[in-house]
Amino acid sequence: MVTITIDGTEVQVPAGELLIKAAEDSGTYIPRFCWHRRMNPVGMCRMCLVEVEGPRGIMLTPSCTMPVNDGMVVHTKSPTVEKAQEGVLEFLLLNHPLDCPVCDKGGECPLQDQTLSHGPGESRMVEEKRHYEKPIPISDLVLLDRERCILCARCVRFSEEISGDPLIEFMDRGNAAEVNTFPDEPFASYFSGNTVQICPVGALTASAYRFRARPWDLREVASVNPLTTTGDGVTVQASQNEVLRFLGVDNDATNHGWLDDRSRFGFEWIASPDRLATPLAKSGDGHTEVSWGEALGAAAENLSAVIEAHGPGAVAAIGGARGTNEDAYALASFMRSSVGSPNLDARLDDGLGTHLLSSLAGKGEIGDLETARTVLVWAADLKEEHPVLYLRVRRAAQELGATLITVHPTATGLADRATHTVTYRPGEGHDLLDRLRAGSGDLADVRAALDEGPVVAIVGRTGLAEDPALAEAVTAFARDLPQASVLPVVRRANTYGAIDMGVAPDLLPGRVAAGGDAGHTGWEKADTSVGLDTRGILEAAADGRVKALLLVGADPLRDVPDADLAARALDAVDVVISIDCFLTDSTAKADIVLPALGFTEKEGTVTNLEGRVMKVNRIVSGPGQARADWSIIDDLAARMGRPLGFESAEAISLAIAEHAPAYGGITWFLLDWKERDGVVAPRDGVEQPLQYIPTTSLRAVGSGGAKRGGFALHLGRLLYDDAVLTRQGASIADLAPGAYAVLNPTDADRIGANGHVEVDGHRLPLRRDASLAEGTVAVPFNQPDGPPLGGSSHVDVAPGAGA
Amino acid sequence: MSWSEESLQRADDILARYPEKRSAVMPLLYVAMREDGYLTDDGMRQVAELTGVTPAQVQSTASFYNMYKREPVGKYLVSMCTSISCFLMGADDVLHAIEDEAGIPAGEADDEIGVEHAECIGACGGAPACLVNYELIEGLTPDKAKELVAWLRSAKPDVINADEMQALFGGKTSFDWGIREERGAVGPFPAFGPFGTADVNTDALEPGRST
Amino acid sequence: MIVEALTRRMNAHPTDSHTMERYLETGGYEAARGAITKTRDELVETVKESGVIGRGGAGFPAGLKWSFLAPARPAYLVVNGDESEPGTFKDRQLLERDPHAMVEGIIIAAVANEVHHAFVYIRGEYPKPARRVQQAVADAYAKGFLGKGIFGGDYDLDVTVHLGAGAYICGEETALLNSLEGRRGEPRLKPPYFPAAKGLYMAPTIVNNVETISNLPYIFGEGVDWYKGLGHEVDTGTFLMSISGHVNKPGNYEVVHGITWRELIYGVAGGIRDGKELKAWVPGGASAPWFVPEEHLDLPITKDETGKQGSMLGSGAVIVMDEDTDMVAAAERLVRFFAEESCGQCTPCREGTTWLDLILQRVLHGGGREQDIDLLMDVSDNISVGLGWPPKQTTICPLGPSAVSATLSLVKHFRHEVEEHIGRGTPVTISGVSS
Ligand SMILES: Cc1cc2nc3c(=O)[nH]c(=O)nc-3n(C[C@H](O)[C@H](O)[C@H](O)COP(=O)(O)O)c2cc1C
Ligand code: SF4
Ligand code: SF4
Ligand code: FES
Ligand code: FES
Repeated sequence: MVTITIDGTEVQVPAGELLIKAAEDSGTYIPRFCWHRRMNPVGMCRMCLVEVEGPRGIMLTPSCTMPVNDGMVVHTKSPTVEKAQEGVLEFLLLNHPLDCPVCDKGGECPLQDQTLSHGPGESRMVEEKRHYEKPIPISDLVLLDRERCILCARCVRFSEEISGDPLIEFMDRGNAAEVNTFPDEPFASYFSGNTVQICPVGALTASAYRFRARPWDLREVASVNPLTTTGDGVTVQASQNEVLRFLGVDNDATNHGWLDDRSRFGFEWIASPDRLATPLAKSGDGHTEVSWGEALGAAAENLSAVIEAHGPGAVAAIGGARGTNEDAYALASFMRSSVGSPNLDARLDDGLGTHLLSSLAGKGEIGDLETARTVLVWAADLKEEHPVLYLRVRRAAQELGATLITVHPTATGLADRATHTVTYRPGEGHDLLDRLRAGSGDLADVRAALDEGPVVAIVGRTGLAEDPALAEAVTAFARDLPQASVLPVVRRANTYGAIDMGVAPDLLPGRVAAGGDAGHTGWEKADTSVGLDTRGILEAAADGRVKALLLVGADPLRDVPDADLAARALDAVDVVISIDCFLTDSTAKADIVLPALGFTEKEGTVTNLEGRVMKVNRIVSGPGQARADWSIIDDLAARMGRPLGFESAEAISLAIAEHAPAYGGITWFLLDWKERDGVVAPRDGVEQPLQYIPTTSLRAVGSGGAKRGGFALHLGRLLYDDAVLTRQGASIADLAPGAYAVLNPTDADRIGANGHVEVDGHRLPLRRDASLAEGTVAVPFNQPDGPPLGGSSHVDVAPGAGA
Repeated sequence: MSWSEESLQRADDILARYPEKRSAVMPLLYVAMREDGYLTDDGMRQVAELTGVTPAQVQSTASFYNMYKREPVGKYLVSMCTSISCFLMGADDVLHAIEDEAGIPAGEADDEIGVEHAECIGACGGAPACLVNYELIEGLTPDKAKELVAWLRSAKPDVINADEMQALFGGKTSFDWGIREERGAVGPFPAFGPFGTADVNTDALEPGRST
Repeated sequence: MIVEALTRRMNAHPTDSHTMERYLETGGYEAARGAITKTRDELVETVKESGVIGRGGAGFPAGLKWSFLAPARPAYLVVNGDESEPGTFKDRQLLERDPHAMVEGIIIAAVANEVHHAFVYIRGEYPKPARRVQQAVADAYAKGFLGKGIFGGDYDLDVTVHLGAGAYICGEETALLNSLEGRRGEPRLKPPYFPAAKGLYMAPTIVNNVETISNLPYIFGEGVDWYKGLGHEVDTGTFLMSISGHVNKPGNYEVVHGITWRELIYGVAGGIRDGKELKAWVPGGASAPWFVPEEHLDLPITKDETGKQGSMLGSGAVIVMDEDTDMVAAAERLVRFFAEESCGQCTPCREGTTWLDLILQRVLHGGGREQDIDLLMDVSDNISVGLGWPPKQTTICPLGPSAVSATLSLVKHFRHEVEEHIGRGTPVTISGVSS
C-alpha cells in the first residue's frame, strides 16, 4: 500500500494501481467513459483528467492511465480539471443527437448524467452534426446507433481483449470514425450482449429490450445466472411483474460482470405463454387441467400404490438440478425418507461422478486462474458449455500470460490462445493420458508445461459419448501436478447444489457418502443405501423394476444421451409424475404434471462449480397456480402420509445449515448481508465430509453394446441447442445452428463425402475440420431436428446421398 | 474469391518478409487492389484469411488509411495537393481546373478518372503539385493541369510515369530529379515491385520532349 | 551558410547518386564495414559524442535514445520515412537520391542496437522513393551487405521496406509501429509503450528518422570530430531544411544551425517572390506556432532559441507567407490538415480540430460572428489545456495540441484579419474543398 492525497485527504491505496480505480475504491469517483475496470486502459475519452503534482509542476493527466505512487498529490475537482472535463463533454455532445427521451439508456446514461452535472448549457456549435443511418442491426441481438456513439472503444476492446471475437471494430478515421461490422459478417459473438451493458451511452442496444421500459420504471434484484454452473452474478430487472432484463454483476470470484448471450437474453422463457400454470392430469392422448387437490391426491395415490405393490425402490426420481438447493433438499428428503427409495439422481447420464463433483469443492476456485502459470482444460469446449469460465481462461492465457493446454477431440474455442492444442480420438483418452503422464514423444513440451505450477486443471467430459471414467483418471493425474487446483465441470445449472443436497444415488445431504451412518440427516427413517443413477433408473424402468418415475425439471427424452433408452423407460413405467415449468417431450408422457415456479419467481440458494453457495432472489410471481418445487414435494409427502413438515424455503435453508454437514453455517442471512459474492462450502472451520474416491459406477455410452460403426463419435453440446429453456426464449430460440456432422477432411475425402453425410443413417450437412482427430465424427447434441445418436460410442458414416 | 496464382505467390513472398503475419495486412491490401482495381470486400476477406485476422479487423485497418479505396476511383486517380504550401502557390485554382476539365468534382470518379484533394504530398518545394496514381508532377498551373487531364483521357497510358508527366505538364521541382525513372504505376495504387503494381513504361517520352 | 555533407554526393552526381556503383565509388559502406567490428557500447558512445539529434521533429539525442533500449531481445529498428508534415520534403530527397546512405546507416544502427531485422516505413504516397530504397536494399543483399553474415562476418541483418497508405499520424512513432503490425495507425499510450521498452511486437525498438539514420555513415566514416566541426556547437551536424511558400528559391537546403532566419529566407531561399514583403512564416512544420518578421527575423535558428520563442524547428519545414496572404485562409488550411489527419482516439483532438476548422471555414465564408474569436480561443483551450508552449500533453499524442498552433498564431498576430473577415460578413473567395 502507498499513501496518496486526493483532494486534500490522505488515503491508503494499493501500490501501482491505476489512479482512477484507487480513487474510486477510496471514495472519490472520477468521471470516465472509456475506462472499464475489467479492460486495459486506453486513455481515449479524456474525461478522467485530473491534476497531479509532480517534480515539474502540476500536470493534467488522465487518471485511467496513471498508476499511483507513494506521496502522489491529486486534485480531481480543481478549476482546471473542471474546465477540461466540461470541454470534453462539450466535444462529445457536439455530434450527439440528444435523443435521450427515446433512448433506452435514458435515465441510466453516464453521458446524460455527466452533462447534467458538468455539462454546458447550450451547444456552441452552429454547424451540422454528423449523421448516420439510425440503428442498424449488427447481430441477431444487438443494434447500433452510430450517432449516439462516443467512440470510447469499450465494445471494440471487449471483443478483442475479453471475448476474443473481434468482429466489431472502429472503421474509418478521425472525425469520420465509427464502430461497425464487416459487411455480411455480423457481430455473431456468444458474448455480444456485454457490449450493450458496457456501452456508456445508448449506442448499442439489445433488440430484446429496445423500448421495453425506462430505467426508472424498473425494479431490480440481485441473483445468480440460472443457466450456467459458474455462478455468474446478475441483476434481474422487472417491471409490472415481467422480467425485462438481465445485467451482469461484477462478481470478483466468478463472472467479472460478463454474461453469455444465452444467459443474458434467455430469460424470456420466464414469461413464455407456454409456461404451465395449472396442474394437469392425463386424459386420453392429452392432459386436462385439474385442481392442485386433485393432482396431488392422484399423484400421492399412484405413488403409494406402487410402493405398496412393488416396494419403495420401485419409485425413482430424476432431475432437480434446475431448482434451488432448498428444492433439492426437499426432493432428497422426500425420496430417501418419505418414499424410502435411494434411486434418485440430478444428473441425466451426462455428468461426472458425484464424488468428483462434490468432494473437490473448496480445493480449487475460478480465481486460481488469476495466478496460474499453467492451465489444463480437458473438458467440454468451454466456450460452448461454460462461457464465463471460458472468458476467465482466455484472460489467464491472453492477459496474464499463463500457458494454456487444451485436450479435446478437436481444437476448441480457446485454440487461438492455447499454447498446446492436443486432440485425440474419443475412446483413446486413456492412452493419451498415459502418454501425457510419461511426457512421451510430441507431448514432452506439454508435460513440461504441466510441471510449472500453480496449475489449474479444468476437467470434464469432452463429449456425451465419452467414458466418464476418463475424467476421473484425468483428475487423479491433475491433482498431483504442482500446486494444482482441479475444477470438475458439468453444464446443467444447479447440478452441484442438487448433488450436495443428496439428489444422488450415492450421497446424502451435505456431501456425506451414502451407505454409511446417516445420523446427521435428521430424518426419522430413511433408506440411506447406494441407489441407482439415472442410467440405472432408466434401465430398471425399461425392464420393469422401477414402476414410478418422478421427473423434476427433467426431460430425459432430450437430455439423456441415449434417447432410445429414455423412451423405452418412459413407455414401460406405470406412473410418471412431472414437476416442471413446461410441457416437454417427456412431461407430455406424464400422468400428472405439476406446474413449478422458475428462477426469478422464488428465493433460495444455488451452488456453483467451485462449491460456492450463492443466493437467488425473487422479483416476479409465477404464472397462474405454479408453486415452488419444495412446496409441491412437501404437499405430496403429506398426502402420502409421510410429511416432511417444511414451512418455507428459508426454513429448509436452516435445516440445510443444520443437517447438511458441508453447508454448516451457510445461511440466507450470511449470503444476503455479508457474503454477496457467495461462500464456498465448507466454510472456514467446517470440515469437508467427503473424501475423493474415483467413481466407477458411471458407464460410458454404448459400453453395454458392441462398437457399432467405424467412426468414434464425438457428441458435444453447443451454447444454443434445442433445450426447452432455449427454445422458449424468443430472442435466442433461432440461434441454434441445427445438426451437422464434422469430419476430418482426410476422412471426408477418403469416404468420398461431399455436402452431406449419413451418420447411422441420418443425413446431415457435412463440415470439415482438420483439427478433428481422424476416424472421428463430431455431431452437436440436441440440435433442432438432430438425430438421436447418444446410444453408441461408435457410428457408421457414409457419403450423403445426392451430394 | 480467389486471387490469381501470381498474387497468391506475391502474398507468400510478402508474408515471408515479416516476423508476424498480421504485419502483412497493409502490403496485401495493395495486392488486393491490384487484383480488383480497388479494395473489394472479397479482397479484404482474402487478406484476412492470409493473415489470420477477421475481415472486420482488416477493414478496420484498411479504412483508417486514405489510399485503400473501397470504391472504384477510375484508372487514373488524380490527387491534387491543397495543403498549405501548395495552397499558398495557387493549388485551389489548379484543383478547380482539374475538376472542370475532368468534369468530376473532387471526391468522385468516372470509369476513367478519379479526382481528389490530398494533404501534403511532400512536394512543397515544387508547389503546387499533384499525384496521378501516386506518381508525382510538380510545378503545376491550371492550364497545364487541364492538359494533363485531357492527355490522360486521350493517351490512356497503361503505365503512369512521373518523368513523362513532369516533362509534359510539370514545372519547377522540389529538387533535381536526376536520372529518368523507367517504372510507373499500373493503377490507382502505388507502383512498388513487391506488390506487382509497378511496370516499365515503354512508350514514355524522354524528359524534355513535349507533345 | 550552405554546407555539403548529406547532399555532397547527390550534388556531385545528379544522375546516379542513388546507385550502388556510385555509392561504392564515393566511399560507401566503409563506415558500416568498420562499425560491425565494434561493440554496442562503443557504437552508442560514438553517436552520443557526435551529439546528433533526431531529425524527425522531436529533436531527441539519438545516442541517448539508443542507450535506453531495453535489454530484451529480439530488438527492432524502424526507420521513419513517413514524412507527411506539410512543408516537409527532405526525406524524400534522401530516399530518392541517396538511399544507400540510409541503408548503410541502418547497418550501423542495427549493429549498435543488436537488431537483426530492420524496417523502413515509407509513406504510401512515396512509391518512387520506396522503389529506390527497395532497389538499394536488393543491391545491398546482393553484395552481402545485408542478409546472412553481412560483410562476410557472422552478423545477420534483414531489412523490410514497408509502405504506408496515407495517414500522417503514422509518422508518430508508436502509431507507426501499430501500422507496421497491420493495425490502425493509432498512437499508443506512453507510458507504458515507449518504443525502446515495448515497441514493435512489444519488443524493444529504436525508431529514427531517415535523415537521422542517413547521418550515421558520415559520423562513422568521417569521424565525430569532423562531424561536430561542421556545425553549431549544440545542434551539431548539418540540417536539411525544406523551404516552401512565397520564396524565390524554394527547396531543400543543407544548413548548419545558428544562422538567422533572415539569412535563411533572404539569403539561402532568395527572398520573397516578386519583391513582396514577408508577412509570417512557419518555422518548423505545420505544428509550429508562426514567426513574424518584426519579432523573429534576426533570431538564430537553433533548437533552443526557437523553443524559447514559443515555437519549434520540428522537422525543418519552413513555410513562408508574403504580404498578400489571407492569414485566416492559411490558418484554416493548416487546421484542416489536423482535422483530416487526427486518428480519432482522443475526444478533444477528434472533435475539437474539426470544430475549429468548421468555425474558420464559416468565418472565411462570411458567416463569422463577434463571439467566434473567443470561441476559437476557448475551443483551442479545451484541446490544449492552458494553451501553453510546449503544450500540456492532454491527449495521447501531440497532434491534437499541435492543431491549435495555427489558430493561436492567427489570433495572436493577425487578430485584425479575423475581425475584418467577421466585419465584412461577405465571403471572400476561398477556393478549395471543404472537408
Ligand atoms: C504527429 C506526429 C507526426 C510525426 N511525423 C513524423 C514523420 O513524418 N517522420 C519522422 O521521422 N518523425 C515524425 N514524428 C516524430 C516521431 O514520433 C519520432 O519522434 C521520430 O521518428 C524519431 O526519430 P528521430 O529521433 O530520429 O527524430 C512525428 C511525431 C508526431 C507527434
Ligand atoms: S458503441 Fe458504445 S461502447 Fe462502442 S465505442 Fe460507441 S459508445 Fe463506446
Ligand atoms: S491527439 Fe489526435 S492524433 Fe493523437 S492520439 Fe489523440 S486523437 Fe489521435
Ligand atoms: S476514462 Fe480515462 S481517458 Fe477515458
Ligand atoms: S503542401 Fe502540397 S506538397 Fe506539401
